[in-house]
Amino acid sequence: MQKKDLGLLVLIFVVGTVVASINPRFLSPINIANTANLVGLFGLFSIAEAFVIVTAGIELSVGSVIALLGVIFVDFVVNLGMPWPLALLITLLLGVAIGALHGFLVTRMRMQPFVVTLCGLLVYRGIARFYTADATAGFTFGASFPSLEWVFSGRSYGVPHSIVAFGIVAVIAWVVLHRTVFGRHLFAVGKNEEAARFSGIRTARVTTIAYIICAVLTALSAVFFAMYTRSISPASHGSFYELYGIAAAVLGGFSLRGGEGSVVGVVLGVILLQMLQNLVNLLGIPSSLNFAVMGAVILIGVLADQQFARYRERQRQAQSLKRATTDGEPVPRPGETPAR
Amino acid sequence: MSTDTAFELQLQNITKVYPGVVALDDVSLRISAGEVVGLIGENGAGKSTLMKVLGGVIAPSSGSITISGETYEALSVQQSFDHGIAFVHQELNLFDNLSVAANMLLGREIRSGFLGLVDEAAMARAAQPILDRIGARFSPSAQVSELSIAEQQMLEIAKALSMDSRLVILDEPTSSLTLSETNRLLKIIADLKAHGVAVLFISHRLSEVEQCADRVVVLRDGRDVGHLSRDEINYDAMIRLMIGRTLASRPPEEKRAAEPVVALQVEDLRTHAYPAGSASLAVRSGEIMGLAGLVGAGRTELARAIFGIDGVHGGTIRIAGRTLSGHNPQEAIAAGLCLVPEDRKGQGLILDFSVGSNICLADLQAVSRNGFVDRRREAARAAEQRDRLKIKVESLDRAAAELSGGNQQKVALGKWLALDPRVIIFDEPTRGIDVGSKAEIYGLMRVLTNRGCAILMISSDMEEVISVSDRIAVMCRGRVAGVLEPPDFSEENVLTLAIG
Amino acid sequence: MKLAKAVGLVLAASVLGSSAAAQEKPALAFIVNAASDFWKLAEAGVRDAQAELPGYELQFRYPAQGTAALQNALMDDLLAAGTDAIMISSVDPKTSVDAFNRIAAEIPLFTTDSDAPDSNRIAYLGSSNTAAGIQAGEIAVKALPEGGKCMGFVGFLGADNAVERIAGFRQAVEGSGIELVDVRGDDVDFARARSNVDDVLAANPEIDCMVGFYSYNPPKIYEALQAAGKLGEITVIAFDEDPITLGAVREGSFAGTVVQDPYQWGYQGMKLMARYLEGDKSIIPEDGLMIVPTKVIDKNNVDSFEAELKKRING
Repeated sequence: MQKKDLGLLVLIFVVGTVVASINPRFLSPINIANTANLVGLFGLFSIAEAFVIVTAGIELSVGSVIALLGVIFVDFVVNLGMPWPLALLITLLLGVAIGALHGFLVTRMRMQPFVVTLCGLLVYRGIARFYTADATAGFTFGASFPSLEWVFSGRSYGVPHSIVAFGIVAVIAWVVLHRTVFGRHLFAVGKNEEAARFSGIRTARVTTIAYIICAVLTALSAVFFAMYTRSISPASHGSFYELYGIAAAVLGGFSLRGGEGSVVGVVLGVILLQMLQNLVNLLGIPSSLNFAVMGAVILIGVLADQQFARYRERQRQAQSLKRATTDGEPVPRPGETPAR
Repeated sequence: MSTDTAFELQLQNITKVYPGVVALDDVSLRISAGEVVGLIGENGAGKSTLMKVLGGVIAPSSGSITISGETYEALSVQQSFDHGIAFVHQELNLFDNLSVAANMLLGREIRSGFLGLVDEAAMARAAQPILDRIGARFSPSAQVSELSIAEQQMLEIAKALSMDSRLVILDEPTSSLTLSETNRLLKIIADLKAHGVAVLFISHRLSEVEQCADRVVVLRDGRDVGHLSRDEINYDAMIRLMIGRTLASRPPEEKRAAEPVVALQVEDLRTHAYPAGSASLAVRSGEIMGLAGLVGAGRTELARAIFGIDGVHGGTIRIAGRTLSGHNPQEAIAAGLCLVPEDRKGQGLILDFSVGSNICLADLQAVSRNGFVDRRREAARAAEQRDRLKIKVESLDRAAAELSGGNQQKVALGKWLALDPRVIIFDEPTRGIDVGSKAEIYGLMRVLTNRGCAILMISSDMEEVISVSDRIAVMCRGRVAGVLEPPDFSEENVLTLAIG
Repeated sequence: MKLAKAVGLVLAASVLGSSAAAQEKPALAFIVNAASDFWKLAEAGVRDAQAELPGYELQFRYPAQGTAALQNALMDDLLAAGTDAIMISSVDPKTSVDAFNRIAAEIPLFTTDSDAPDSNRIAYLGSSNTAAGIQAGEIAVKALPEGGKCMGFVGFLGADNAVERIAGFRQAVEGSGIELVDVRGDDVDFARARSNVDDVLAANPEIDCMVGFYSYNPPKIYEALQAAGKLGEITVIAFDEDPITLGAVREGSFAGTVVQDPYQWGYQGMKLMARYLEGDKSIIPEDGLMIVPTKVIDKNNVDSFEAELKKRING
C-alpha cells in the first residue's frame, strides 16, 4: 500500500469516527450494507474510469453508457422476454463494441479522448432516449426474475452482491494493473507514450484495450444499476456518473496526466465518496449541499496530499543538511546531483 | 542595474546540500567584465546546481554572492535578471508555436497603436540585428517549430544577447551545433568579451574551452578542485582535474573476422523527411559505422524509419537477411534491431519510472510468467544490467530522472542489451554527457561489436565520429553521400561529403 | 431598443404567421417540462382533442432537455414558425416571467402543471398542488389515527410543485399528531432516490410513514421496503400513477396515492385555446385559475382507475 492510500484510509476512519459518534446508526449493519451496495455500484465504473485515466485519457460517456445499456438490458429482459444471461452477454458485448470504437478513434484516428468521449456522452444519451421514446424503461409491478434479482441485487449473509462483484473486479484490476506485463505497459504508455513506442510497446493496442476494459466494466455496472433502480428514465439515469468515477480516481491518487495511481486508491476513493453521500443523509445536512461537501473533500484531500508530500521532501532536505554539517562522517556522494 | 560600475561577480564558499548528496561544497568563483571563464566538470560535478544558484532558482545552504559590490545570501530570479545575468541552457526553453522574434522578446513585446496590440513587424525589425550579429540565417518571423535544433540553440543565444546582458552563461551551447556553427559561436564569445560582457562557458568539448577561455574552473563531486590560468589551459590538465586521473586511450581492437557479414542492409530507403532521396547503407557485424552529416541531413529520420517508428515511403530494410516492413518497432526488435534515441528524456526513458522498470521495459516478457511480472526476476535482471554497464545509482528503485545524463544513457542502452541485439542504432549517444561517461560508452560499444554486434552511430561530434568509427557513412539531404574507410578519415573528407 | 425588438418580432411573426396561417390551419402547441411517462397521458388528451378539433393543428412538444433556457428557445421557435397559441408546463416559472411576457405579447399563452401568476399568461389550467398535498395529508390522517412521524422524498426540494405539495401536506396533518419530519431531495437521480430511502430505513427507525412526492419516489420507497422486508410496516402515501405505485395500492402496501389528471390538461387545454382563439373569452375565470381536481386513489377505486388509464393511453 502506498503512503497516499494510507492517508486516504486515515481520512476514511476519521470521517467514519466523527459520523458514528454523532449518529451511532452509521455503524448499524443495515446502513453498512446499504453503503456497501452503493460502493459496489459506483466502484465498478470508477475502476473502469481508472483504466482509461492511467493512459492519460478520459472517459466522459460512462453515465450515458450506463443509461443506454441499462435500457437495452431491461428492454431485452422485460419486453423481449430474453433469458437474462443472454441479455447480459449482449450488453457486455455492446460494451466491448463501444470501448473498441473509442479506442479506435483515439489511437488510429488520433482524436483527443476528451472529444471522442464527450461526443459519446451526447450520442449514447440521445440513443437511449430515442430507444424508449423518452419513456421510462422498467420492470412492471410484481414482475419477478428471481435468479436475475438474486445475482444482481440480492444479498448473501447480508452482503450485497454488488460489493462482492466490486471486490472481485477490484482484485482482478489490481493484479492486472500492478502485476502484469499489460499493466506495466499501461503505466508506460500513460507516462510517456513516445518512450513506450520506442521500447517496442504496441501503444495503440494497449490504449484500445484500456478503453475496452473501461466500457465492459461500465456495461457490467449498467446492469447492476438497472437492477438497483429497477426503472430507468433515460434522460437522467446515470447523469454525471462519469464525474463520480473521475473524482474517485483522482482522490485515489490517479493523475489526469496519466501513468500514476493505484487500484487500492480508487477503491478507497469510492468508499470515501459514498460515505460522504451517506453522512449527508445521516446527519441531516441539507441534501442540496451534497455536491458541495463532496467537492470540498476531494479538493482538501488532494491538496493535503500534495502539501504533505512537499513537507516530507523538506524534512528530508533538512535532515541531510544537518547530517552534512554537524557530524563529520562523510555524506554519500553518488556521482550526480538530483535532477530538478 | 547600474552600468557605471564595472561588473564583477563573486561567489564565496557556496555550499548546497540535497538529501543524500552534497551538490556544492565550499565553491568560490570570481568573474569580471570582459572575462571568459570556462567551467568544466563531469556531469554531476555540480555545474547545474551552481547555475541554479546564479539564476536565483535555488538558495545555497551556506555562502554568499556578491555582484558589483552588493552582497546576497541568496539571489532571487528577479535580482539575477536585474544584474544582467542571462542563461543559454542546454535544454531549449523555446515556444514552438511562436515566431523567432516573439520568443526573443517574450515578456518585452513591442506594442503599437491605440489598442497596444503586439507589433510583429517592429519586433521582427528589432530582432534582425541581433540575429545578424550571431550570423543566424533564419528569419525573425519564422516559427520556432520550423527551426532545426541547432538553429534553436542559436536563437537561445540571440535571446540572451537581446537582453543587454552583463554576464552570459552558456551551458553546453555547442552540443548540437555543427563545426561551422560552433566556430561562429566562438567568434560571438570573443565579440562579447570585446564589448565588456563577462562569459561563463560550460562545455564538455574541451577543445572549445581551450580556444576561448581566459581561465578555467574545474568542479568534481561538488568541490572546486582547481583553477587553470590562460597559459595552464590544455587538454590533459583539464582532464586530469576533471576525472582525477588520465583518460585511458581507445581500447585495443581485436582482429575482426576476415569475412564480414552484413547485419543491417538498407537499400533505397525513402523517409518522410526526404521522400525523394533514397538512402542505402550496409553495416557489418562487429563494426561501428559512424553516420555523419549536417544537422537536418535526415540521419535521425533514417534511424526512425529503419526502426519502424515513422513508416517508410519505399525501399528495403534487411536484418541478417530478414526483410522488415519498416512499419512497426516490434518487428524490428524481433529481428534483433534496436534504437537508442537521440531524445533520451522523451524517447529513451520514462523519467518517472524507476531505473529497474526502465531497464526491463522493452522485454517484460522475459521477466514474466503467463503475463504476470515476476518482480524478483525483474530486479535480478535490472541488477545484472546495472553491474554490466556500471550504472551509478544507490537503488534500482530510484526514478531515472534522478540520474546524470551519462547514467541515463546507460539505462537507455541497458534495456536493449538483455535482448542480445544484432544491430544497435545509437543516435547522438554522448550528447550532453561528461568525458568519463563518454569513454565508458565507447568502451561498451566496443565490447558489443567484439561480440558480433553491428552498430550504427549517428553523431554530430566530428572528433567522436572519427575516433570511434570503423567506417563512416556521410549523409546529405536524405542520401548516403559516401562511405569513408579509415585511411580517408578526416574532418575535411567528412565535410566535403556532408555539404554535397 | 425593446420597442424595436418587439416591432421586429411582430413583423417577423406576422409575416411567418400569416403565410403559415393563410395556407394552413391555426396551430396550437402544448410544451411539457421534460420527457416522462406522466406526459404520455396529456399526449393522449391532446390526441383526443385533435379528433374533435379538425380545424386546428395540435402539437405536443418535448424540449431537448428539461431546462428553462431550452423551453424558452422552443417557444421562440414555435412562435417564429407561426404557432397561434401555446400552453406550457414551465421548468422554472419564476425566472421565466420575462420570456413568457415576450411570448404573451404576440400570442395567447397558457400555463399548465406549474403556474407563473406574475406573467401575462391568460390562464393556468391544471392541478392545485396545494390541494393535492392536502389530499395526501388526509390519506395520512386516515391511515394513522394515532399520529406518526413521516419522511418525505422528492426530486427538487426547491421546485414550486414540491414546495406546494409539502405545504399542503403539512397543513392537512396539522394537529393530528402526524409530523413531516424532513424531506430528502435526489435531483431526479433514481439511484439516489432509492439510497435516500435506504438511508432513512437505516438511520431513522422512528419513522413510520413515508411520502413520495414525485411520481418515481413511491416506486423507490416500495423497492426499498421490499428489500428491507418492511412492506406493510410503514405507511406510504404516494403521488401520481406509476404502475408500481398502483400495484402497491392494490396490494395494500400503500395507503393511497393522489393522482392528477394530465389527460384533462391536454384535452381541455387544447379545447380552451381553440375557443379562446375563436373569440370566446368568457370561459376564463376572474383569477385565471382553472383547476382540474386531483383524485385520491386507494384500494377501492384503483382497478377502475387503472382500466381508465389503459383505455386513454391506448386511445
